[in-house]
Amino acid sequence: MLDDQKSMERVMADEDTKITAKGVDVFYGDTHAIKSVDVNIQNRAVTAFIGPSGCGKSTFLRCINRMNDTIDICRVTGDIHLDGQDIYARDVDPVQLRARVGMVFQKPNPFPKSIYDNVSYGPKIHGLAKNKAELDEIVEKSLRRAAIWDEVKDRLDAPGTGLSGGQQQRLCIGRAIATAPEVLLMDEPCSALDPIATAQVEELIDELRQDFTVVIVTHSMQQAARVSQKTAFFHLGNLVEYGETDKIFTNPEDPRTESYITGRIG
Amino acid sequence: MFGLTFLAVFALSALFYALARNKAAVLGGDTPRILHSRPNYHGFLAFLLSAIAGILVLLVVWVLWGAWIESRFIASILDAQPDLSPIEVELALSDARALSEGGIASRTDALREQVAREISGQTALHHYGTMILSLVAAAAAGLWCLRASHVGWRARNRSETIIRRLLALMAVIAVATTAGIVLSLIFETLNFFNNIDWQVHKFLFGTTWSPLSGVQEGKLDPDKVGAIPLFAGTLLITVIAMLVATPIGLFAAIYLSDFASAGVRAWAKPMLEILAGIPTVVYGFFAAITLAPFLRNTGESVGLSIASESALAAGVVMGIMIIPFISSLSDDVINAVPQSLRDGSYGLGATKAETIRQVVLPAALPGIVSAVLLGISRAVGETMIVVMAAGQGANLTANPLEAVTTVTVQIVMLITGDTEASTAAGPAFTLGFTLFCMTLLMNVVAQRIVRKYRELYD
Repeated sequence: MLDDQKSMERVMADEDTKITAKGVDVFYGDTHAIKSVDVNIQNRAVTAFIGPSGCGKSTFLRCINRMNDTIDICRVTGDIHLDGQDIYARDVDPVQLRARVGMVFQKPNPFPKSIYDNVSYGPKIHGLAKNKAELDEIVEKSLRRAAIWDEVKDRLDAPGTGLSGGQQQRLCIGRAIATAPEVLLMDEPCSALDPIATAQVEELIDELRQDFTVVIVTHSMQQAARVSQKTAFFHLGNLVEYGETDKIFTNPEDPRTESYITGRIG
Repeated sequence: MFGLTFLAVFALSALFYALARNKAAVLGGDTPRILHSRPNYHGFLAFLLSAIAGILVLLVVWVLWGAWIESRFIASILDAQPDLSPIEVELALSDARALSEGGIASRTDALREQVAREISGQTALHHYGTMILSLVAAAAAGLWCLRASHVGWRARNRSETIIRRLLALMAVIAVATTAGIVLSLIFETLNFFNNIDWQVHKFLFGTTWSPLSGVQEGKLDPDKVGAIPLFAGTLLITVIAMLVATPIGLFAAIYLSDFASAGVRAWAKPMLEILAGIPTVVYGFFAAITLAPFLRNTGESVGLSIASESALAAGVVMGIMIIPFISSLSDDVINAVPQSLRDGSYGLGATKAETIRQVVLPAALPGIVSAVLLGISRAVGETMIVVMAAGQGANLTANPLEAVTTVTVQIVMLITGDTEASTAAGPAFTLGFTLFCMTLLMNVVAQRIVRKYRELYD
């Protein structure tokens, strides 16, 4: 216990660590989905979670902004700290946490509202803009950062659902950015997109790490290699290996990691 | 006797099923695959052909023979007493029928007794003759099928064709009935407009409704058929009902779909739907016997005079009746809003309330609107509650504490009143037709909205 405390403090001291997870277990009813995962996620970098389907990488991602709270049968134990603060502490409101930890989902899910309203939704509910001019500015800035401004600036009143899949996903990224989060969680953001849209979103993710801590779940090992600095390999609910992306892909320590990246398991 | 013949035809057809099936099985022998159709289909085709032939002959012969002997009885009554009026002839005939069955007649005389004897003889012949003819027809069809079947007999295709035609026949019956009802409504409406000298505007915009007062020889007074008080009453009660049903139904739906735990939902939703299963007549006397006196007494205690039959009582109870429609339909559309939209909103740090108000409800709005419109068309067409609780006098008022009357109530009054049906039917059919147009319009609008809504997600 004392050791835990010490190591946690040492991690806190490390300014480069944004999120610290220690001994995290997740249960869906009787299913043990995540088994005692420890991981430190680096600030202003892209961390990729890879692993075969059902290995728990999305489940773990959803622990970081407590999205699993919305699932009745899901139970999370262990510690996850964001900037040294326990996000599962009793006094933490998941609603406030999610404003700091944004999320982009597997399938583009724009609200059936106008493009403008999609982006202004977050800032409005969190009171980030004092007036219409400020709100306009946030919307424009967010859409620019999401690399979609030029495509939609003339039709901000058009419904967000009318955009193409790739545009919708970038709109959703813009929507997440507009809330000014510190961490951006992405759950297979490119799995519903074609190669061109995927390339655009990947380029965007690479730029986003200047301002945000990005955690991305992906099934594509090429994508993990292209966009991330750190990679974590999950297998059957265990975090098998975590380290520099280059090292994981060129010189993995664990035989299971090697089997997976060379295509023998998964 | 008819039912017995029906069963006999069926039993005979079942026999042919067994025979044809057996024959096919024997034809197939050890190599059943040489048969084009499996033995079951051979049997089924024989059954279908035999049953259809038998039942068709039964229906046709029964009706035609019956009509023919009836015309003979009438002829024999008229032969004996040529100066009887048509109504008296019918009375004599029904008396004779009663006598022949050992029942009680209004009068017994020589003529009636003679006709009764004739009926006894003829009826037996009619019944047994029809039975034999239909059994012969069924047997002939069955035997033909049995003889015609061979190894390459396309029994499956043939029986499927027959089934398809039977299904089409049922669809035609349903559609033709609807068309018939609408046509008769239109016909009677035109008849009524003709009766008031085509002063249609007096029906649509007149404010005095008293169609049967001072009616002579079926001629209606155009100044007394103004339907405005009825439509105003219907509107008033509908508005009250929807004011009760929409918020309660919608909020109940929101609670059930987004807040209630699975356990609560499992028993609350069926309970709510039981409300839809209560017959409206029960709601009616609940309104008349429980709610209306309660409202009147409460009103008295605060110095308000509330009529014992009030638009308020009828409207509130009607609203309660409509709650399950609104809540059940809204619940469905709210549940149809994809979970990904809710997740998207939660992921941005929205609370549950913000998510429901700003994402879920706007997305479900078209469906909710159509649920409300369907509720309105229920309210407009509802009869029992208003008959018991709203009043009968055509009273043009916007005060919910007074008695008003509705279109449906007046139709009931016209049809069940003691005015001759041919006179009362005109205004009643016209009101019915107007009501039909209103609900049709609302249902069409509701369906349009629902379709538009579907396009959004699929």
